[in-house]
Amino acid sequence: MALVQRALERLGTPTVSVTVARDITVACRPPRAVFVPFMMGHHFGVPGNAELQKTIILAALRLVAEARRSGEIRDLPYTWNLARRGAYTGES
Amino acid sequence: MAPSEQLRPDLWTTVNERYPGSMIRKSDAVALATLGVPLERARLCFVSSAGVQPIGTLPFDVAHPLGDFSYRTVPSNAVPSDLEIHQLKYPSAGATQDLNVIFPIERLQELVAAGRLGSLTPQFFSFIGYNMDPVRFERDFAERLAAAVHAQEPDVALLAPA
Amino acid sequence: MSLNHLMQASAAGDDAALIRYVRLHLGDGNEAGGRAEIDKAWIVALKALLPDPPTDYAFVRKLVAERDLATLAHLFFYVHFALVAASETWIHDGTL
Repeated sequence: MALVQRALERLGTPTVSVTVARDITVACRPPRAVFVPFMMGHHFGVPGNAELQKTIILAALRLVAEARRSGEIRDLPYTWNLARRGAYTGES
Repeated sequence: MAPSEQLRPDLWTTVNERYPGSMIRKSDAVALATLGVPLERARLCFVSSAGVQPIGTLPFDVAHPLGDFSYRTVPSNAVPSDLEIHQLKYPSAGATQDLNVIFPIERLQELVAAGRLGSLTPQFFSFIGYNMDPVRFERDFAERLAAAVHAQEPDVALLAPA
Repeated sequence: MSLNHLMQASAAGDDAALIRYVRLHLGDGNEAGGRAEIDKAWIVALKALLPDPPTDYAFVRKLVAERDLATLAHLFFYVHFALVAASETWIHDGTL
């Protein structure tokens, strides 16, 4: 995916990705990414938590406006354990 | 606060040991494109490698040992019941309950309705991340998909690798 | 294993590397799991034939006689997944 992201940014579209594999993202160097320490396949959180899903989308998009350095990876302040226990509702 | 560790550590190394040569590494930085409008007016395109596709389109080929180098368009006004997943290589249990955990199409629609985002491109894009030919992926597929996304004229693109 | 490495293994006659890749692909990155999945596909296939149901042997003959080896090889991978998915303990059950 990072290769698609890099190609798209080169065409002039600002991009951001959401990753759960920080080391792979470091290696592939997409222009911007936010990292969440979630289970693979659950990048936007847990089933039924619409607020967390929206919060992660907005946090990712915020980085598009704020990033000044290509390759920045912003760590978001969530944990999988708390997400699974139903935390992070009502944040957006 | 120190960043949390990823749940499965050393994924790049693990995958590269199992599938030598399949993992890429890039050292050069791509110049940042500029967001030309505030998010509240921006038109967003979403791109996923989770194998999500409209029911009735040719299922992604999860059997071929080299992978599938095609993508599907997903109308941004679709609802989850219009869509299905054809990809085996990630835990899809959560997505089966609520597609938005990997393909947050309803959340993006809601953010537009709430005025937090300007609009969505007519089409989103989806493919499967598993493939064993990184050279073909980079030179052909990534360029082809990026051009298709760009043709939707997004102001910003959100991407989620599965 | 990338295509480049698979081509090198093929050229060098390194069958151990090739079958390891097949097992990893069919076993979601778990070589022992992939070997078990291959066995399971054959068990499912055999069990499906034990009641001696009618089958379309003419279709099978025609398909194998008329289609190219690459298409048959693709089908072979595809049928593996189809057979294992028909069992109740598929490794690709969404939980990994």
